[in-house]
Amino acid sequence: MHESEAERLFRAFTGNDPAAAIRVVEQVRSAGVPQSELFDTLYVPAIAMLGEAWARREIDELAFTQAAVVAEQVSSFVMPPLARPDTGVGVVLGVMHRDRHSVMKNIIAGALKESGYRVFDLGVDVRASDFLERVEETGARVVIAFAEMLATARAVEGVRDLLVAEGRADVVLLVCGGPFAADPSLARSVGAQGVISTAQGALDVLERVRRDVLKQEAGR
Amino acid sequence: MTRSQQAMIAEGLARQGRVAEAVAACHEALAIDERDAATHALLADLLLGEDFYDEAIATATQGIELDPDCSPAYLALGLAYDRRGGMWDQSVLVWHELAEVVPDLVIAHVQLGEAFSAAAFDEEARDSWRRALELDPHQARAHYNLAIDALKREGMPTALPLIRAAGALDPSQDALFFALVGLPDREPSGDVGPDTPREVRYAEAVALARAEDFFGAADVVRTLLDDDPNDAKALALAGFCYLKQEAMNEAMACAVRALADSPELVEGLYVLGTTYAQRPGLAKHAARVFLALAKAAPGEPLTHVLLAEALLGLQRYRQARKAYLAAVALDPACVRARFGLAAVLFSEGAYAEAQWHIRRAAYYDTKRLGTFWELFDRYVEEGSA
Repeated sequence: MHESEAERLFRAFTGNDPAAAIRVVEQVRSAGVPQSELFDTLYVPAIAMLGEAWARREIDELAFTQAAVVAEQVSSFVMPPLARPDTGVGVVLGVMHRDRHSVMKNIIAGALKESGYRVFDLGVDVRASDFLERVEETGARVVIAFAEMLATARAVEGVRDLLVAEGRADVVLLVCGGPFAADPSLARSVGAQGVISTAQGALDVLERVRRDVLKQEAGR
Repeated sequence: MTRSQQAMIAEGLARQGRVAEAVAACHEALAIDERDAATHALLADLLLGEDFYDEAIATATQGIELDPDCSPAYLALGLAYDRRGGMWDQSVLVWHELAEVVPDLVIAHVQLGEAFSAAAFDEEARDSWRRALELDPHQARAHYNLAIDALKREGMPTALPLIRAAGALDPSQDALFFALVGLPDREPSGDVGPDTPREVRYAEAVALARAEDFFGAADVVRTLLDDDPNDAKALALAGFCYLKQEAMNEAMACAVRALADSPELVEGLYVLGTTYAQRPGLAKHAARVFLALAKAAPGEPLTHVLLAEALLGLQRYRQARKAYLAAVALDPACVRARFGLAAVLFSEGAYAEAQWHIRRAAYYDTKRLGTFWELFDRYVEEGSA
């Protein structure tokens, strides 16, 4: 479909003309090819032509290298979007007060950010009131409370109580940590709606939450 | 140091891998001279290899008591503490001592960092790994450990590029390419011309690339392409040479061209996947290519590791775990797979299991490096001098 454009891009590479190469990319993009497809439909065929031209000695080693430099200059214009699209769902997370076990919190925060969630990381040793405060500031729809000790796990109940008391019972409260994995009834007893035990699990649960949020918003 | 003939026999048997006989010879040598620290160290290493941790600890300790400069005994003792587990305070002390006794021993700093990390002294662990990298910037295991540390502090998006960077320093990745090529390891002969048969020239180009003479390899590849510009294997080899010179677009051009004619050429898949994996925006592309490579070469552990890393880039932890497990099943000594699997296990909250894999990786890596024999030879030589 874009063979002629790929040829033009290839010629721009071998002609050592980055401006022309970028023009080709822009023309193809304005013709309606989405950013996510530019690399496969335009760049890869042009690069293949470059390889063929070098293999057939149509261009020498120096021209090959120069063309590759131009290709590098253009590559950022054709790369699929790096970041996943913003899900629009805010997530407040932190490790409970008197608990400093941060590893799982850091890993899950990184995974959620990478997947397009708006993550507000409160760090470790977070009081229940800080969760509520940040939910109100940011409009976050989800709170994830991390606790690795039984006492701090039980204290999650305080987060749920505060959310209910301040009229934010709609906020989804999730919990993560060893005590919740060891005793499945603990999460329910502190008023949490779900337990997360892995980064993959966090992504799966948040995907369901995101769909529910979208459904609720569509229903309004 | 005058060592008994029996001690020499024990050493010889150990070097030949005749463990049971070597252990018996060590005991005989110690019956002759119980103050021979080197033989205590050797016996400790042999016992460790057979998973007799407590006995190895006792024997290595005796060696150190006899001579506080007996570096191979420190190594055996440290490894025995680490393998046994739950003795991190002792382990830290031993690795610290070894780093003092042999300050230029990079692996001592790496091991010290691992012991610190297991004892939750994260800052000290980082300092030790950085010290190791000051001594040898290409120390892959120090990089792997720093990647795991980054994972614990900032999550997978920060850790993955570090795991990949460590992997690129790991000699196993080049070894994979040559395993995929499927030619035996040999020195370049240096006497091929354009009239030499194609297969001989190709084998010479591979030998040159293996010897890291990439310009020489490219010259021979050129003659192959002059004969047949569609020679996919030659194109893939050219791609590998470019890859090694960090010329990613040239490598990609050669690989894409090679795969256009031979879509299942494993060397082409390797080169293309590697170029894709270096660009964060092409994680999906890398996963597709490495999936094809893992299917085409399922017996190569590193193909599963590369797939797993690409899957981690897509945050598919469960699938990554499966791929890492496949790699570890094929090669339990694959350090890169063990560290990658540890990363996935950390993301699952399985810290103890993750640490266990790191300990296994450390043991295999130190063994692979031949550090025990290096220290043993140095110690015996210094003693006799």
